[in-house]
Amino acid sequence: MIGVCTATKLEPSVAKDGAERGVAGRVQHSTPDLLRNLRNSRVMVFHPKDADGEMLAQQLQRIGCQVITMWPPLPELPDTVEVVFCAVRPDHAAVKCSWMGGEQSVPVIAIINYENPTVVDAALRMGAMAVIVSPIRSAGILSSLAMAKHAHAELRDARRRAARLEQKLVSVNQISEAKAILVRTRNVSDSEAYRVIREQAMSKRVPTEEIARAIIHADGILSFQVHP
Amino acid sequence: MANTDPIRVGVLFSRAGTTSRVEISQSFGTLFAIGEINDAGGIDGRELVAVHYDPECVPRNYRLLAEKMVQEDGINVIFGCYMSSTRKAVMPVVEKWQRLLMYPTPYEGFEFSRNIIYTGAAPNQNSAQLAEYMTRLFGVRVYLVGSDYIYPYESNRIMSDFILERPGGAKLAERYVHLDATERDFVSIVRDIKEKQPDFVFSTVVGKGTRMLYQAYADAGLDPSKIPIASLTTCEAEVSEMGTRIGSGHITAAPYFQAVDNQVNRDCLSRFRAIYGDDVEPNMCWEAAYFQVHLFARAMQQSGSDEIDRLLPYLLGSEFDAPQGRVRIDPANHHTRLYPRIGRVGDDGRFVVVAESLIGVDADPYLVSHPADDWRLHSDEIGAVGGQGRR
Repeated sequence: MIGVCTATKLEPSVAKDGAERGVAGRVQHSTPDLLRNLRNSRVMVFHPKDADGEMLAQQLQRIGCQVITMWPPLPELPDTVEVVFCAVRPDHAAVKCSWMGGEQSVPVIAIINYENPTVVDAALRMGAMAVIVSPIRSAGILSSLAMAKHAHAELRDARRRAARLEQKLVSVNQISEAKAILVRTRNVSDSEAYRVIREQAMSKRVPTEEIARAIIHADGILSFQVHP
Repeated sequence: MANTDPIRVGVLFSRAGTTSRVEISQSFGTLFAIGEINDAGGIDGRELVAVHYDPECVPRNYRLLAEKMVQEDGINVIFGCYMSSTRKAVMPVVEKWQRLLMYPTPYEGFEFSRNIIYTGAAPNQNSAQLAEYMTRLFGVRVYLVGSDYIYPYESNRIMSDFILERPGGAKLAERYVHLDATERDFVSIVRDIKEKQPDFVFSTVVGKGTRMLYQAYADAGLDPSKIPIASLTTCEAEVSEMGTRIGSGHITAAPYFQAVDNQVNRDCLSRFRAIYGDDVEPNMCWEAAYFQVHLFARAMQQSGSDEIDRLLPYLLGSEFDAPQGRVRIDPANHHTRLYPRIGRVGDDGRFVVVAESLIGVDADPYLVSHPADDWRLHSDEIGAVGGQGRR
């Protein structure tokens, strides 16, 4: 389509930079890896053997993907599969498969034939990141594949980050608690308490969190003995 | 009783508008082939009759006229379209009514329709070779200028990938002009090119703007032997319009140039000129428009029908000795095996083929990143090329 456009469109920073410096290193101007790697995707298509399933497999092959087609869906995926296209059929929706959501998940694109809430809900429960609608056309498959892979990678990164932050939060709380114990039982200042924990950690070559946990643990036992 | 009814086919190229010059040449390529088929007795005695409408380079008109061809003229096969926006306008029509569009123009790839046959180059048949050739002979600092639509965006993406992967590779600017650009728009761009001194300019300007760009380039005193403009679309049609002095030294990648050195091409050109004279300049789009009609006619000879379901089994996988070489329609993606070539305009204003693939290259319309090195293994470089040489 011809876009609505102004007379010229120029990347402002490129115009300013002029020479190679700054331009050559700008990776964002070349095609993103996600799109570059689409064609090597190993794709599992769970779809009944019919014209739609055939159309989907052929288009994925044109894109350059390696495709396996099966029906009904397998509860476990072969290790090599990176992306799943799965037809949503209410009679198969109840089957829970390991690749639908959770830690083991892969990007899932749902293929729906009816757009009613039952079917859309089944697609959501499948953990679908994109949807294509039957009858399948060749257009839209590449975009759905890219969207699903992108959304899945973002979600995976966000989950990892959340897990790291949760862990960090627990550690911070433990160190605070251990410091408070030292302040109370050894009559030292807050910063002195932290110095003690860190020195212990360094001399035993373990993380400060571990020393903190040991202090909390010991305090629990000692408190129990002191105040029966 | 034999059916002797004429077979009406649609011809949907513009006679007016920004890309009309090359589209007129496509009409002539189509009509020339239809004439040859009729002179040889038609298709089983049935005459091919062209129904030609002028959509004036407006996408909406392509859609409306395609509808008219289907509904009022009972047409099953349409030869037509140049800009991608016009192909996208016709696609829903042929899909809805189950008709066939044969599209003889290089385009940006990433499309498949059961109802379209693509006979122009996909990016793996022209862009990759041009990028490789230009970076090897001229350098890796490129200035991109194009018309503001999808084909230039996608062509520039491929060129950028290619350039930025090379040591020292740099994109000095990426500028777009409106399809209705005027001389003035190009003056500032050419001034900027002169200031930035790229190793080469990559132009994806199409239509009337093409002559204006090359004209402004010459007027500014930029020397194509040192900094040439490389293009995927500037063909004989545009070069003849701009004149010898202006076009000389610039470079284009295409599967076909008039200079292709074989008997099929020489014969074809002399037959064409005997009928139509020198007003129309044969070019890559003319050639694709020509050979695709012959591919259609041969398929229909076998199927006995121009209905898509009857025709496709014979059309897919079929081959033809086209002026560029033996072409073949790929059954899996409906695109065509073509012969990548690089042409450079000589002092007489005619393209000289400076590099060509010795074997046909199948289209890979969904290829995202293009490996650079494979085409040199099977290509032949002809004659010395000026410019700054190897860097």
